[in-house]
Amino acid sequence: MKLLLRSLFAIAVSLVASTSAIAAPPALPGDSVYQVEASVVDQDGRAYAWQALRGRPRVVTMFYAHCHLMCPLIIASGKSLQGSLDPRQREELGFVSMTLDPARDTPAALLEVAQMHRLDDHWRLLRPGDADVRTLAAALGIRYRAQPDGTFNHTSVLILLDRDGRIVARSEVTDLTPDPRFVATVREYLAGASASGSN
Amino acid sequence: MLAASIFAIALLAGASPAPSRGFVEIAGGTFQSTVRYDGDDGKRSVAAFAIATHAVTVREFDEFVRTYPQWARDRVPSLLADSGYLANWSHANPDAPATHVSWFAADAYCKSIGMRLPDWDEWEYVAAADATRGDARGDNTWLRRTFEDGTPRAMDARSGASANIHGVSGMHGATWEWVGDYATLMGDADKRGAENGDRLQFCGATGLSFANRDDYATLKRVALLSAMEPRSTLGNLGFRCARSTP
Repeated sequence: MKLLLRSLFAIAVSLVASTSAIAAPPALPGDSVYQVEASVVDQDGRAYAWQALRGRPRVVTMFYAHCHLMCPLIIASGKSLQGSLDPRQREELGFVSMTLDPARDTPAALLEVAQMHRLDDHWRLLRPGDADVRTLAAALGIRYRAQPDGTFNHTSVLILLDRDGRIVARSEVTDLTPDPRFVATVREYLAGASASGSN
Repeated sequence: MLAASIFAIALLAGASPAPSRGFVEIAGGTFQSTVRYDGDDGKRSVAAFAIATHAVTVREFDEFVRTYPQWARDRVPSLLADSGYLANWSHANPDAPATHVSWFAADAYCKSIGMRLPDWDEWEYVAAADATRGDARGDNTWLRRTFEDGTPRAMDARSGASANIHGVSGMHGATWEWVGDYATLMGDADKRGAENGDRLQFCGATGLSFANRDDYATLKRVALLSAMEPRSTLGNLGFRCARSTP
């Protein structure tokens, strides 16, 4: 029995190895934000590499949970964008909000934010490793500064990434609803991306 | 002594390449920063940390590139470095500070040895010292000499220049240095003044000014850094590493 299990395991391993060899993704574009090596943990406590987010168009933002003015706006703005998509596009587009405050924003705290804002499964709230917050912010062109009182100054933007992590468009958040031009760009992008197949 | 050897062992065990030169512990304290943000008096408290006694050299950076070939000039992705990256490499003096290095590359180098880039406040705190004084900035003669920072005439670029009172060399040398939070030296003041523009763009107020107009060298350094993109490189911009004291 043990032997059988073991050989089944060996077959499974070789199957995985061969399929992953066949499905090896093409080289990452030089300007992809997934060129940054970083690790993240999501609101469900799952840890993965930042690069694992490749493969799906995503809208990315950075925020922190203790922020009372701007950060609810960022999430509301993302939700509003999501609500303006047709059902097929809504299935396609992922949302990623990364915290600037990994010391306080534990996965549990991020889960609370997700529940409070009733975010669906398309949303990943991520806590980067302590040393990776700055690197990721730099890759996304997001500037921030910790204040002595525990708050952060930061640029508030929605950034549309293509499947390979190239920045397609960015929009500053100034309201509960996103800039209509940005919404139009996202919809056009999703329409074009699905028309051109898997790319 | 014991602590120093534990530290050395930790470095050896932590990762390669190990830095060939040392780090010094800097006791924490408060100091008056020349850089001010809206509504602050420039008083900063700096927690204890360790900083490299020298900027990372060409030789050290070369070892890093050998260990992590994704950082080679012909392999680095365009997100992480511009076309000037390591442009001077073939004829660089191995003992000179490594330059033509992007912020991303400097960040990755320091992470590879279990360290990080120093914050601006840490950097400014250590750079305020000369060989005999923890804060030499009240001395106008000394201050005037810092105007040459980033040029071959810089005071720490002279041969035989002594380390400062902390044992740190080259803070006022011929090369500028990246800091980890350089992007927070926000030069992006365009939105300020517009009604509530800053509150909308940032969570809270920002705005950068200088406490002491005489500290022209600091102003120049901040202006230079804040104009950089993290992928930018310059022939006179290098870096050193630091770490928080646990």
